[in-house]
Order: sequence, then C-alpha cells, then structure tokens
Amino acid sequence: MDKYDVIVIGGGHAGVEAAEACSRFGVKTLLITHDKSKIGEMSCNPAIGGIGKSHLAKEVDALGGLMAKATDKAGIHYRVLNSAKGQAVRATRVQTDRELYKTAIQKFLSSSPNLKIKEGSVVDLDIKNSAIQSVLTERGEKIFSNSVILTTGTFLGGVMHTGLEQSSGGRTGDPSSDKLAQKLRGLNLKVGRLKTGTPPRLDKHSIDWSLLSPQPGDTPTPLLSYTSQASERPAQLNCYMTRTNPKTHQVILNHLDKSPMYSGVIEGVGPRYCPSIEDKVMRFAERDSHQIFAEPEGLNSDLIYPNGISTSLPLKAQKELIKSIRGFENAKIVRPGYAIEYDFFDPTGLKHSLETKAISGLFFAGQINGTTGYEEAAAQGIMAGINASLLVTNQEAFELQRDEAYIGVLIDDLVSLGTKEPYRMFTSRAEYRLILREDNADMRLTEKGRKLGIVSDLLWQKYQDKKNATTKEMLRLKKDKLKPNSPAAKKIKKQTGEDISKNISLFEMLKRPKVLHSHLPQGEIILAPNAVDEIEASVKYEGYIKRQKIDIERLQKNENTPIPEHIDYEKVVGLSNEAKQKLSEARPGSLARASRLPGVTPAAISLLMIYLKKERRAVG
Amino acid sequence: MGRGGISIIRMSGKLSKNIAETMCGELAEARSFKRCSIKSRSGSKIDDGMVVFFNSPNSYTGDDVVEFHCHGNPTIVNLVIEEAVYLGAVVAEPGEFTKTAFLNEKIDLVQAESVADLINAQSETAVVAANSSLSGEFSKQINLLLDGILKARVVVEANIDFPEEEIDVSALESIKEMLQGFHAEISELLSRIKEGIKLRDGYSVAIVGPPNAGKSSLLNLLAREDLAITSEVPGTTRDLVKTSVNIGGTLIEFVDTAGVRHDPEGPIEEEGIQRSKEAIKKSNLSLLVQDATAIQRFDVGLGAFLTVLNKSDLLEGEFSNEENTFYLSCSTGKGVEELLKALITRLEIDGGEETVFLSRQRHEISLRSGGLFLEEAIISLGEGQALELVAESLRSAHSALGDILRPMSADDLLGEIFSEFCIGK
Repeated sequence: MDKYDVIVIGGGHAGVEAAEACSRFGVKTLLITHDKSKIGEMSCNPAIGGIGKSHLAKEVDALGGLMAKATDKAGIHYRVLNSAKGQAVRATRVQTDRELYKTAIQKFLSSSPNLKIKEGSVVDLDIKNSAIQSVLTERGEKIFSNSVILTTGTFLGGVMHTGLEQSSGGRTGDPSSDKLAQKLRGLNLKVGRLKTGTPPRLDKHSIDWSLLSPQPGDTPTPLLSYTSQASERPAQLNCYMTRTNPKTHQVILNHLDKSPMYSGVIEGVGPRYCPSIEDKVMRFAERDSHQIFAEPEGLNSDLIYPNGISTSLPLKAQKELIKSIRGFENAKIVRPGYAIEYDFFDPTGLKHSLETKAISGLFFAGQINGTTGYEEAAAQGIMAGINASLLVTNQEAFELQRDEAYIGVLIDDLVSLGTKEPYRMFTSRAEYRLILREDNADMRLTEKGRKLGIVSDLLWQKYQDKKNATTKEMLRLKKDKLKPNSPAAKKIKKQTGEDISKNISLFEMLKRPKVLHSHLPQGEIILAPNAVDEIEASVKYEGYIKRQKIDIERLQKNENTPIPEHIDYEKVVGLSNEAKQKLSEARPGSLARASRLPGVTPAAISLLMIYLKKERRAVG
Repeated sequence: MGRGGISIIRMSGKLSKNIAETMCGELAEARSFKRCSIKSRSGSKIDDGMVVFFNSPNSYTGDDVVEFHCHGNPTIVNLVIEEAVYLGAVVAEPGEFTKTAFLNEKIDLVQAESVADLINAQSETAVVAANSSLSGEFSKQINLLLDGILKARVVVEANIDFPEEEIDVSALESIKEMLQGFHAEISELLSRIKEGIKLRDGYSVAIVGPPNAGKSSLLNLLAREDLAITSEVPGTTRDLVKTSVNIGGTLIEFVDTAGVRHDPEGPIEEEGIQRSKEAIKKSNLSLLVQDATAIQRFDVGLGAFLTVLNKSDLLEGEFSNEENTFYLSCSTGKGVEELLKALITRLEIDGGEETVFLSRQRHEISLRSGGLFLEEAIISLGEGQALELVAESLRSAHSALGDILRPMSADDLLGEIFSEFCIGK
C-alpha cells in the first residue's frame, strides 16, 4: 500500500516550500505535480521581493525555506527599495532568471531527504468522517495519507481570456484541474472567484533598447537569503524603463469593448489596485503616461516581461498597443497577455494552521486561499508544511502572531477577515511594522524554526554569530562615550553636521536621525550589513518599539486565552446577535482573534472573557 | 472622580507600576502612601499629590494597582490621565475594573452574571453616548479631522508601500503644514470643551397621541412650566413645542406634537401631522398619550414607545402599570415618578453618571492623545526622521481619534490609497 505522512498536491511556490518543510521536519512526504519540469516555475513576472514581499521571503528563509536561497542563485538585478527610508520599510527586490530559479528549486528538492516527487494529476480525495484518507490519481492509483496539502494555485476552474476568446487552463499550456475542482466544490467549503492578468511577452531582439532608460541594480549588490554567498549569484544585468503615452491610451479606449473585463464577460473580482493597463487608463484618466519596466526573463532568455501593461485585450489590439510605446515600435509579441479567472476557497474556512475547519488533515496554501504573489504563496506553503508535519506527529499547531512575522499578519488577515480581492502583502497591513523588518527576520524566527527541526546547521550558526555580535556591539554602544572636541566628535560633525556639546554615549548619538552606525568610532567586532541594520533600527526606533511592545503585551493575555472549538455562543450572556453570528461563523481560536473580527466589540470580548472564566471555574 | 477636594485615579495592570514610577519616581512599599510631584514627560509638574501601590494579588482587581490622589480639578485629572495614556495606559471600558476583579477571582461566581449585565448595560449606554448622541458640532469636527488625517496617511503610506509607483512626492511636502493645521484644530476644540461646548446631545422623546389626550399637559408637567398652549379645544397644538428637562443628570428633550386625528380637517393640521411624524423619526423614544377614559385608534408608526394613560384620576377603581403602559394624571401629578423611571430605563441612561462622565472623559482623552501623536509626527517631520516613524505617529493619532467616532482598518486605508493613486503592475 502506498502511504505517506504528508502528500503535497502542486509544485508551485506554496507546494515547494510545503513539501520541503515536511521533508526537513522528517516526515515521509510525497509531492504530486502535473509536470516535474515545471516545479518552481515563475508563472508571472520573474521577480522576487519588493515592499512587504521581501519581508515574507526573508521570514521563509529564516525558517529554513528555499525561496530566498533559490533567488540568490538566480538573481540578475538587485535593488533595495526605500533605501532612503528606515530599515523597517526597506525591501529588497530581485529580478531573476526564470530558468536558474527553477533549476535551483528543483535541485534543492532532489537532494531533500524525505521527499518523493511524482508526476500525476489528482482527480479525487477520499474523505471519511470529515477526515482525509487518501488521494486518487488520474491513473487510478490510490495513495494514502492523513495529511494532504492542496496548493493548486489558479488551476481550479481556471478560465483564460484573451479578448473575448476563452480557453480553460491554469497557465498558458497547462490543463486546469477540473475534476478536482468539481470534487472540491462538492465539499462543505465556500468558493469565490478572482481574476488576475499578465502582459504580453516580447522578443528581446525586436526592442530598440537605445530608446529605453537603463535601471542598473544596486552596488554593492545585496543578497536575499541569510545564508547565501555573493559567489552564488549569477552575472548582473540592467533593467530598462519606458512609458505608455496618449496614443497607447487611445488604442486601449478604442478596443475597450473587446476587453473581457469591461464587456462583462469576467465575473471574478479583481483587486482594487490596478491589475491591467485597461484599469489604469480607465480609472486614472487624468494621467497620460504610465511606466513600464522591461524585465529580462533570464540571462539566456529571448523574452522580455513588460511589467506594467498586463492586459486581456485581443491580440490585434495588443499589437497596436505595443507598437505605440517608445522602444517597442517594432517589438514582436511572442506570447499575448491574458486575464485569468479562477476559483479560490474562502480562507475564513481555515484554521490558523491552514488546515480546513471542515476536513481534518486537509490543508490549503497559496493562491487557492485568495492570495497573489510568490512570496505570499511560499509563506503559506512553509506554514502548511510545518503544521501538516506537526499534525501527523500529534503535536500542537505552529502559529505566528501578528507581532512576530508578516507571515502571522498574512495568515491572520486571511483566516479572520477573508479577502475580496487577490490578497497581496503591504507593510501598512502590519500594525507592528517597526518590529517586523528584513534585517531581523532571523532574530524573530530562526530559533523557532530550529526548535521545529527545520533550520539547517549553517543558518543556525549564522544566526548565533549575528546574535552574539549584535549583543556585544549594543553593549559597546551604550558604554563608549564621545567627548566634545575629540577627533571622533569632529569627524561626526564634519560628516553629519551634528554637534556634540557634552559627553554622550554612542547609543544616544546613533539615535539622532542623521547619524549612521558607520559615522561612529568602530569597535573590534566585524558586523555583517544586516547586523548593522538591526542595530541601527533597534536604536533609532527604540521609543516607538517600546510603545508597540506595550500594545503587544496588553493583547498578549487575549492571544493566550484560547476559545474552545465547540463553544456555544448562544450561551454567552448578553452577546448581541451580530456578535453571536460573527463569532459562530468564524469560530476564532483565541480571544485576541475574536477581537479582530469586524462586528465584535470590546464589550462582546468582555462578556466572552467572563463566560470562559465561568466555564473554567465550573470545571475546576 | 468629579469636582471634590481630592480626585483618585486608579490604574490597574502589569504596567501600572512602571508607568507610575515614570510619572512619580520610585514608589513606596505596597499599600503605603508616598507624597510626590506628578510629572509630565517634559519634566514639568502636573500636581503635588500622593501615590499608593497595591501589589498583585492584594488589590481590588487582583492585578497591580496604582492610585494617584491629586487635587480635584478636572484639568489636573485630565493631565494625569493623559500622561498615563501617553505612557501606555488605556481609559477603562465600562465595568472593566469589576470584570478584571472577577477574572482574577476576587469576586465570586454568583456575581458573574451581574458583572455581565453591568458591562452590557454600560457599554450600550456608552455606545449611545459615543455615537448617536455626540453633539452635531463635535462629531462634525472630529469627522473633518479624521478625513484630514486619513488624507495625510494615504500620502505617507503610499510613499512607503509604493516607492516604484510614481507617487507624487511633492504631496509629502505639504503634509507638515496640514498636520500643524489639524493640531491647532484639536487644541481649539479642547479649549472649547473646557469652556463647556457640548460633547454630546441629550436624548429626544416625542409626545404623541390623539387630540386632547393631554400631551401638552404632560409636557407642562414634565417641564413644570407652561410652554405649550393647552385648551379644551382638540387640536390646539399645531407647532412642535420643545422643552429640555434634566432627568437624573441627563438632558432629555421632550417634543410636543399636534394630535393626530383620522380625518384632519384642514391644511394646517395636515402639516402638523407631517411634523409629528418627523419628530417621531428623530426621537429616541415616543410617549403615546391617550385619554384613559376614551382611548382612540392611533395609526402613526411609532418605533420604540411607552403608552401613557392620562386622566387616570377620572377612572373608577385602581389600575396598576404594566410593562410599557403607565397610568398617570396630569392634573394631580400622580404617576409621573414611575413614568420618569421607566423613561430612564428605556433610554438606557441608568448606567448613571459614571458612564456619562467616563464617555465624556474618554472622548477628551482620545482627542488629547490624538493631538500628542500629531505633535510627535510634526516634530519627526521637522527633524527629518524616517518616514515610517511619521507614519507610526499618524497611525496612533488616527486610531486615537477613530476611537471617538469611527475606527479604520488597515484594509480601509489601502482602499483609500488605491482610489487615490494608480498602483499595480
């Protein structure tokens, strides 16, 4: 009998992290995918990171995940966004070589100790007593497991639109998983529909590059992973920019009746941010130009991804549109852009562990939960993998709080509030933004990952070295003083214009906005760049972080007060009907989570607290 | 609290000792008073007073508790609370101290239900106080401030989250000036509160019924002065007559209306009836007044109402009130006390003065801390601090003011950003 501890269905970014996390955890894992060669495929633009997203990628990395490591093996253009702002909102964005990325991921998986990869298509799930038993492939094989992670992305009921033409499928050239979709629709899960889109891909050689403005990457070139070496990075390329113009916009307006989004053919809900150039032109009519980043798909690829003109207009219109753009006058469309509509499962049907509430042992991760983006998918993947492993080894679920990680924000938002548009991470979603930074994802998460057994010795060692170094350095900064008129003070005055009128500790000096760590007299310890960032952030944000910590502490008690799964809200004295209904539907796992539900007032939380206490006292 | 000689401000929770020591210096041993100067974060003295610490679990709530004893001047009390709030305290929700005491097993199980009731009753009142009855002017100002701060946040957050999206950076330059304007408005609002501008409106009760049932007499009885014209001719009251009566510390506005007959006899009456309907719509509760000796049909939609059977002195025998029906005589005044009691219960203002005082207090504190956070943002902008710190102060300011009127979620904010700027690839 074919039996695994965990089966992961889907080889996208969620599936990859899920399967690898299970394997690192030490449970026998099977990854089932349509096509082995497409594991780790970047189906949209070939870039990882960006504001909020790099934070997620680094968190996955700090838990031992693959995304950042693979990115560094494939990164051909690195930039730190918001570099003029503070650490909390700085974000690394990496343009990658699609092939190299995929190769790196596949290589990691092939050397993964407890992981088997199988090509196939899952057509049915066997569920008994609301618990998953086995999966059935199209060849009739029955594979048993009590823990199954579904990461099927946009493949469920996917319909692609190019102009008014439609075809079914999840990604160009791949079949959509209709049979599985039908099966899932029959389960007790709420289904919604979303849409997203991609731009046409252009032939590199048909673009007049001299008319585009080059966008070099940053030097020194950063790395995304805590463990990567600079030597792992491939050669670096420039990106290029051009813009749409009034002529482009006229083309779009002329063909709008053939856009499925505007002719009413697409029923799925798109995001409030502009997903397509049609949206941009319609919603912001006063702008006569929008930027386009011409992103290389890889070092040896002939494809260019014109980021910024995602469209579902008919091919003829796309051709006209492209021709109207400076530098693209003679550009050839290799593959037209398209919009895709797909099913997602209302994530409020999930526990925070990403296990479905309805079917025990069945986990969902990635786009299937209504998110968009590789990083969002990877973050859910690793968490689903960890939790599926914990489930089969009879251990308690692993959850991250909103003040611990963007992963915590992501999952809590999804599970508590659901989503009406493809959910994408932004830093403004995090109330503890100053604490959740790129530079300290390892400080926040690596110990937890190590305890779970999914952090490598290399990452663990790097983490400890950094921790020791920053602790020592902080002590030095507090101890060492700057004297007025000392050479060091004069140097600082010259570099920053800051006066030193009396003895002041390096720590206090660093608090001043213009002073950087590099301006201060250096100690003996050699610090990695992200250790310097961590020190600067914790000094400069000190007062604010203190305030946020008070906030967190206040909520902590509620975070730590569980609500029993089968509580009868009708019995809670005094609850309003609205609160009863919201709570019964969402069935939050803790008081804090209950308090974040819309329609649940502080008074309702108080009443709930009293009820829970009473119940406990009655039992005790 | 109040205007007594000494005010006691009680603070409960793990952080209270820490906060108190920041304000008053090191505390004396538990349960011993210490004379101290209560200081603000700038080091200036707020008041000379006493502070006493009760360590967990030997306190009323079972958590660490600190009491500040200061002069009974509302301004001083506010400053002390404001400082504690700045340092991380929050103004207690209705019944929160009792609730904490229960959770910490300082109160027994039997009392649990009553705590729940208390919270429920008080929070309902607080909600009423916090929303529907905020005075039009006050809530209009707060709304304007919230809109303004939201605009500033949209610009700041868009600059943080979308650096690649051609957000107009020049908008950032005008932010400081904008914030200074809001800060000035808050100061202005606070000083007007001190001068006694109404934070909240009272309640409105419509007096309705068929003609000549004694509606105007009831109003006169309630107001104890002759405001409405009363006469034996049915349908005398054509205009709405309003009078405000202070009942148990809460201002209730009674609106006397024209009697509604089934077949109005002229255009004037028609008009009066329309106005009655309006008055009913605007009121929190209606009193349907009937002549106990001649009850008539009354078909106007009423919403929440109590029935008053007037002229009960003319009835033979004794009748006792039912849940929503009250026997009363406007000529003898008998029954009016019971009616008033019922009114207070129905309007849910029996949480009493504490609730009213606390909700007023909370509004003022929220406004103050909103002002402080704005000030912090302005200073950060002036010092050239990183934008995310400005954003943090603005988020705090927004949430402080949002507590008064309408809280805003991160997702709402994103919605505003997306409608303002063209974002996305």
